[in-house]
Amino acid sequence: MSTTVAAPAAPQKTHCPYCALQCGMELTPAGTPGPDGRAPLPVTVAPRDFPTNAGGLCQKGWTSATVLGVPDRLTTPLVRGADGGLTAVTWDAALDLVVSRVRAVQAEHGRHGVAIFGGGGLTNEKAYALGKFARTVLRTPNIDYNGRFCMSSAAAAGNRAFGADRGLPFPLTDLGGADVVLLLGSNPAETMPPFVQHLAGARGRGGLMVVDPRRSATARLADDGQGVHLQPVPGTDMVVLLALLHVVVAEGLADRDYLAARTTGWDDVVRSVAAWWPERAETVCGIPAEELRATARRLAAAAPARGGRGAYVLTGRGVEQSAQGTATVTAAINLSLALGLVGREGSGYGCLTGQGNGQGGREHGQKNDQLPGYRKIDDPAARAHVAGVWGVDPATIPGPGLPAVALLGSLGTPGGPHALFVHGSNVLVSAPNADRVRERLAALELLVVCDVVPSETARMADVVLPVTQWAEEEGTMTSLEGRVIRRRQAVDPPGEARSELWLLAELARRLGSDVAFPTDPAVVFDELARASAGGVADYSGLSHARLDVAEEAGAPGLFWPCPAEPPGEPAHPGTPRMFLEEFATPDGRARMVPVDHAGPTDDVRDDAPTYLVTGRVLQHYQSGAQTRRVPELDRIVPEPYVELHPQLGLRTGVADGARVRVTSARGAVEAVARWTDTVRPDTVFMPFHWSGAGSVNRITSDAVDPISSMPEFKVCAVSVAPVPQMADDVGAHDAHDAHDAHDAQEVPA
Amino acid sequence: MTLHVPLKVVVVGHGMVGSRLVDELVRRSAESFDITVLGAEPYEPYNRVLLSDVVAGRTDVAAITMPDPGGDHVTTLRGVAAVSVDRRARTVTDAAGAVHAYDRLVLATGSRARVLPLPGLVADDGTVNLPAGVHALRTLDDAREIVAASVNTPRAVVVGGGVLGVEAAYGLAGRGLQVTLVDPSPAPMSRQLDTAAGAVLAAGLRDAGVTLRLGARPSEVLVAGGRAVGVRLGPGRGGDGGTGHGGTGHDGGDAGDVVAAGLVVLTAGTVPETGIAREAGLSTDRGIVVGHDLACPDDPRVFAIGDCAQPPQGSRGLVAEGWDQARRLADHLASLVAVRAQEAQRAAAPREHLRFPHEGERPSMAVRLGTLLASRAATDQGVDTRGTDVVKVKAGALSIVSMGVSGPREPAPGHRAVALHDAAAGRYVEAVVADGILVGATCVGDPRVAADLTAAYTRRTPVPVDPAFLLLTPVMPSAEPASSPEHMPDDATVCRCNGVTKHDITACWDDGARSADDIAAATRATTGCGSCREAVCGLADWLAATRDGGAPVEPGAALVHASAGEG
Repeated sequence: MSTTVAAPAAPQKTHCPYCALQCGMELTPAGTPGPDGRAPLPVTVAPRDFPTNAGGLCQKGWTSATVLGVPDRLTTPLVRGADGGLTAVTWDAALDLVVSRVRAVQAEHGRHGVAIFGGGGLTNEKAYALGKFARTVLRTPNIDYNGRFCMSSAAAAGNRAFGADRGLPFPLTDLGGADVVLLLGSNPAETMPPFVQHLAGARGRGGLMVVDPRRSATARLADDGQGVHLQPVPGTDMVVLLALLHVVVAEGLADRDYLAARTTGWDDVVRSVAAWWPERAETVCGIPAEELRATARRLAAAAPARGGRGAYVLTGRGVEQSAQGTATVTAAINLSLALGLVGREGSGYGCLTGQGNGQGGREHGQKNDQLPGYRKIDDPAARAHVAGVWGVDPATIPGPGLPAVALLGSLGTPGGPHALFVHGSNVLVSAPNADRVRERLAALELLVVCDVVPSETARMADVVLPVTQWAEEEGTMTSLEGRVIRRRQAVDPPGEARSELWLLAELARRLGSDVAFPTDPAVVFDELARASAGGVADYSGLSHARLDVAEEAGAPGLFWPCPAEPPGEPAHPGTPRMFLEEFATPDGRARMVPVDHAGPTDDVRDDAPTYLVTGRVLQHYQSGAQTRRVPELDRIVPEPYVELHPQLGLRTGVADGARVRVTSARGAVEAVARWTDTVRPDTVFMPFHWSGAGSVNRITSDAVDPISSMPEFKVCAVSVAPVPQMADDVGAHDAHDAHDAHDAQEVPA
Repeated sequence: MTLHVPLKVVVVGHGMVGSRLVDELVRRSAESFDITVLGAEPYEPYNRVLLSDVVAGRTDVAAITMPDPGGDHVTTLRGVAAVSVDRRARTVTDAAGAVHAYDRLVLATGSRARVLPLPGLVADDGTVNLPAGVHALRTLDDAREIVAASVNTPRAVVVGGGVLGVEAAYGLAGRGLQVTLVDPSPAPMSRQLDTAAGAVLAAGLRDAGVTLRLGARPSEVLVAGGRAVGVRLGPGRGGDGGTGHGGTGHDGGDAGDVVAAGLVVLTAGTVPETGIAREAGLSTDRGIVVGHDLACPDDPRVFAIGDCAQPPQGSRGLVAEGWDQARRLADHLASLVAVRAQEAQRAAAPREHLRFPHEGERPSMAVRLGTLLASRAATDQGVDTRGTDVVKVKAGALSIVSMGVSGPREPAPGHRAVALHDAAAGRYVEAVVADGILVGATCVGDPRVAADLTAAYTRRTPVPVDPAFLLLTPVMPSAEPASSPEHMPDDATVCRCNGVTKHDITACWDDGARSADDIAAATRATTGCGSCREAVCGLADWLAATRDGGAPVEPGAALVHASAGEG
């Protein structure tokens, strides 16, 4: 067995385990008593000055150390025994079992019969190793990851328009100087609170524009003259964008010099928005035509070509998790290009990445159609280059596999995978139409789950492997701004927990592969850097050592692309701002693509006349993985709830505080009703951090975007009704919830 | 692979609806069709709805050009009118003499402006001959000419106070012209608005500088030297024009007088272009008669869509209706092709025609659509065209919307109408509800309510228990945020990022904190986004002022002290 590197005793500069903002924090090992007289926490957390958080932390970050000491931390491999329960075994026993079952599945179903489902919370090194393991050891095409659920539409649109997808192609701090920041489908005041600091400039100039069907915490930041909130009908954000661009065209506000010099496709886009005059848009999106006009004018006035200080258009999951997500992001990009914002210092388009390593996790080969360096798997040159780094024959690298929703849907079916490895994801809570996912997982011959806690998915597994998390490991993450940063170890992993890097190397060896799998994260990074050389996301000029030196020198993190320079040349400084000279397309111009609105796949109808939208609360992260185990957080928001307008409550007989049943074509969930006028009367909202009776992803739609294969989490049609008040029923539900709430955990996903 | 001969479709008319149909067909399955489009106008298709915006100077003319679907399967002939149809031979002959064969013919000929039979416009033999300065508002050329004319004349008369007339009058007034809007009804938009709503609109138009001549009809267009110089007015509907009663009528002047104007815009309605259909022996009434399937009853190979068509439920001349028809007809034609393709495929090779994405290439949209349609019950009666009859006037700050059952009408059993009449504030809202659904509404002067009503109407979302709630924006009034610390509720959240309440802060003060920094260290307030720094400092000041220097006080007592001390 490999030994685990002992954690240093000195304070470690690292980053928060949760979202893509990757707030800087310092962890001081050991010793201090926990709150409320609990056992001492293994580290204390202090915020530090890092560009994204500027010394701030939200409650999740402050309390993150609690996650290291949770009582049911997985500390030993578990194998399902004859009694149906999970039993502790040695690593040897667990890995032998996995190897023999994998071989059996391969023998019966072929190599594509084994699949991998990864996560956007894994370090760059782990994500890279996972893709390499799939392609060289398992030699299966079937690897995809939960980033398909969050980043794929923005990625597809960004790649199509700019030739590259980096969430923010500029440093986050640039936002502060802009006159206008237009946020669509994003609620950073709730999801990444320290981000709000970067909106201060725009708010001070009255230029925060929030498009959201709810008057969210972020929308309320625009109150009192600090900006505007547009509250469209769910699923119609794209109409807002098309109408804004229509006004830009109609009123001659476009940056024609920029369009001529830096884009192609403008004429077709102009025609495509001719049909979206504001009065027509109003009838679809529910925002008054004159508000759309005023918004477009205000945005245009902020553009540099019109003498403004700059404008940013930012999208989030609210518009991307849609069957027209790629098209909606494309509409946002078209608007940004029309105003000449992209590739100009002080302006731009960006998408706000969600998961901790949502950016890096989508660059190194976890995606079904991708090789490291954001290369395409069907590109012969890319295959040859990566095969060279891996020391394999390019012909042995499989082609594209199934994207996430199709992959999960095909599990255990004829022709589909029959064995699945899950890393850093709890698909039973986080995938759409989750009850169907449960069916498919049950049909597998082998389910291996690598996690830090017994997640719901882990509880269904045949083999559960305990892995390292956050402060227990070294590595790199790539933040929402494309900045490659160091994650540093502050404590020893508990019990038998091991890094996935070790685990994959062991499996490779035991499966008879002669492909090298180094286990030192710094060495893995060096290999990743070589594999990425020449790719879109080029890390070849980076190393752990260089990142460490830069951070000591006060320049924390470096932005990709950061290619290696020839010996003797100065090191590449990284690329804080992309596209300043040209885009990453073959002709250097941004491509504008006409798009049109089609509407939600599962739209309201007479028997499901209300929209369901989903989102987050400040205190929880993803499926509640770590956060529901942190008492300070769980106490504030202990259970799922349904926000509904009092008018909807009165009509349906659902009282404030009563239990409400929300039913879609896929099933029903139940939770507590909260009356609020911040949601439209035709819409209900549910946060998605829970499993059990109130687990909203059991009823969300698994219709997918035709280009990105991203599922349409964010809008579907439901009916709303009170839950009959029968004492026994209520008790049963509560017990069910409590049970699931305790068990449903996942690593950052 | 195409296993069949493409369906030859000839589309007569290249306006908003004809071009949309072509676009819809190409999107579904370009290779399944061989499309020929005949357009009388020399332009690429453009957005006719926006011509009033062109007149108003609110839009760049370049911005109204619509997508012109092309490709190998579409032949578009611009400036070439269709002249005749030979249904037996299945051909269309164009103005250049060319003959186009079709499998399916689609008439999308639109409509033309109705020209009142007035001296000065129409000769005794019935021929229309508009003098210089008189324009309909139907084509791009019309709009351009109106804009050109507006530069050279200070006064305009708009004849016809319907939607287009209101838009044109408002737009020309915005250009600085003295505009007179003439309509025989007692209020503008009388087809959509009842008297009360119309009065609110009339007031809004007057505020915008438009002179209204209601209850009046033009009796003659005065022409001098080949140019229009004015309009003579006679009495309007019911002959009550000259009396000016009802408060909604006239802005001065008597019927029979003359309004001087160098620009006369005709917006007195439209007439469907049915000539080619009638001559081909197809049934026409007001428009070309079609069934729910948009096919002519006389010939199932011929369809009519858009303004020229007269479907069973009638036509309002709105583009949303025409686009909905284009979509439905495209579905139909695509399914026709799909069925043919399936038959051909079955004949060619007995193999499974349906494939799923992960099993190989995706079947064509036509195949998928055909399968989808075939799986549906054949309910062709009573097409659901909801949401296509929303009339939204484009008149800037004047917000006017009408939809479904509303405005002047006979009371209908089962309908419940609620209304808010607030003339002094320029507001009128009516909502008509049946079976818990909004079936019609009128809203003048309240754009937010208008947008909410439209969303509820087009989506058929259930209305509140008391439909009167529909008349206002559904945001509950909330108390002003506490202006000083002592009025803030104890459980009010001060720091969202860290979930810190006022109670938490007072408690930590009582535990010894004595500054905002102490509070931050103890509670983490201000350590997230920092927005609450000011509030925390305010609380610290208040706590220092109210707690220090006296005995420790209970929280409740503190509030009393505070209000006494700071009052």
